[in-house]
Amino acid sequence: MALKTVTLGGKEIEVDEDGFIQTPELWDEAVALDLAKQDGIAEMTDDHWEVVNYIRNYWLKFDIAPLIRRLCKETNKDIDMIYDLFPNGPADGACKIAGLSTPTGCT
Amino acid sequence: MSDFIYLDNAATTFPKPSGILESALEFYQKYGVNPGRSGTDLAQEAEAVVAEARKSFASFFGATGSSDRLVFTQNASDSLNIAIQGVLKAGDHVITTCLDHNSVLRPIYHLAKYDGVEATYVPFDGAGYIDPNAIAQAIRPNTKLVVMSHASNVLGTVQPVAEVGAICQARGVILCVDVAQTAGVLPIDMEDMQADILCFTGHKSLMGPTGIGGMYVRECVDVAPLRYGGTGVRSEYPDHLDEYPWRLECGTGNLLGIAGLLNGQKWIAREGLGNIHAREKALLQQLVNGLREVDGVILYCADNLKDHVPVLSLNVAGMTANNVGTLLDVKFNVATRTGLQCAPKVHELLGTKDLKGTVRISLGPFNTEAHIETVIEGLADIASRHGKG
Repeated sequence: MALKTVTLGGKEIEVDEDGFIQTPELWDEAVALDLAKQDGIAEMTDDHWEVVNYIRNYWLKFDIAPLIRRLCKETNKDIDMIYDLFPNGPADGACKIAGLSTPTGCT
Repeated sequence: MSDFIYLDNAATTFPKPSGILESALEFYQKYGVNPGRSGTDLAQEAEAVVAEARKSFASFFGATGSSDRLVFTQNASDSLNIAIQGVLKAGDHVITTCLDHNSVLRPIYHLAKYDGVEATYVPFDGAGYIDPNAIAQAIRPNTKLVVMSHASNVLGTVQPVAEVGAICQARGVILCVDVAQTAGVLPIDMEDMQADILCFTGHKSLMGPTGIGGMYVRECVDVAPLRYGGTGVRSEYPDHLDEYPWRLECGTGNLLGIAGLLNGQKWIAREGLGNIHAREKALLQQLVNGLREVDGVILYCADNLKDHVPVLSLNVAGMTANNVGTLLDVKFNVATRTGLQCAPKVHELLGTKDLKGTVRISLGPFNTEAHIETVIEGLADIASRHGKG
């Protein structure tokens, strides 16, 4: 997997070819804002932060991303709303902005 | 989830027909001892089922030689590893195709990288088929093996293996066919195919459980064993046995899996392989007809479904495959397979690698017209709301 170093939130951070940060401990809100900009999200609204923080806290607690149905239920947003907020979707969009590593589902 | 629609049968069929697993478990609870490893009646009863399964599957695949050459393995990947690594040695040349699965590509890549084997990858045409003449042209003096899938696990296209078999036979090259996507779907006759080695898995359309598969090796070919160990017979010999099936089997086999596999085959016989396939093909045609009318849906190699198993790859314009799959799953309760489907060279040629592959829909015996209607409506919704068609 090809890695490169980019500046996010004023820090030099290594990311993979899909833009997922490789050192989740370096994540903070400034990093999230820059990751969001890269995904074409001009402004992180309260709804964006609710999703990102839910994913982030779930990951910190369980070391895994939440199931998408659970994410929708717990944030009271249907899947279309999630896509409206994060055009790259819950995995490649919201999880990336929340500082999680690349999803490892079988390809 | 009562309205869950499973359309990932090319990965594994689900659910399994009622009774297959229950009956296997009942057998296992009564006879689940080590088959053939002692002279007890119980062990003989267990061995009888294994022997029945060998005979039954050798016949199912049209093998005319001894059923001892029907070897049980874990799955098709295991069989292909045994076949590829057991046939090729340094200096040999192998031909495979760009349609093939990593269960073929990775063993070959490993041998090419570390063991001095040369490899050629034959591309497919715009409709998803391999030209047998391209295989013929790729044969070199040191070509030992052609290994190819009977049907693409991404596109569903059924390959002209009999024509390739005739070429291999005439040129003295071993043909190994991966029937993971066709066993239990299409009639398979090794003699017609002129296939020397056939590799299958049990958990797809043969309706068995996971963890059981096999291979048949014709008498004209020898496959060197990759593993050595207990066979239950001639234990005083220091060398692993040359005779089949022990040559390629060691240790206690998967008796429960074999019983399930045999039950699966019996279920197919009762239902009629042709009847199952006809139903699935009708649903595939319904699906393709419906999706052709949906703006923004791109179908791959689906213009003519004559030589197809019920597998379809597609994308939605402006979306990655995994996002389409997520929406189908979460919004419509439809399970599909997204990504490269373990067949990266298919996507290199299709130009779908940057889209993270395709959405693969694969049908099974329990799918219905209503399921197809739901997936068409779902993709229409996804394309109009989130796509850029």
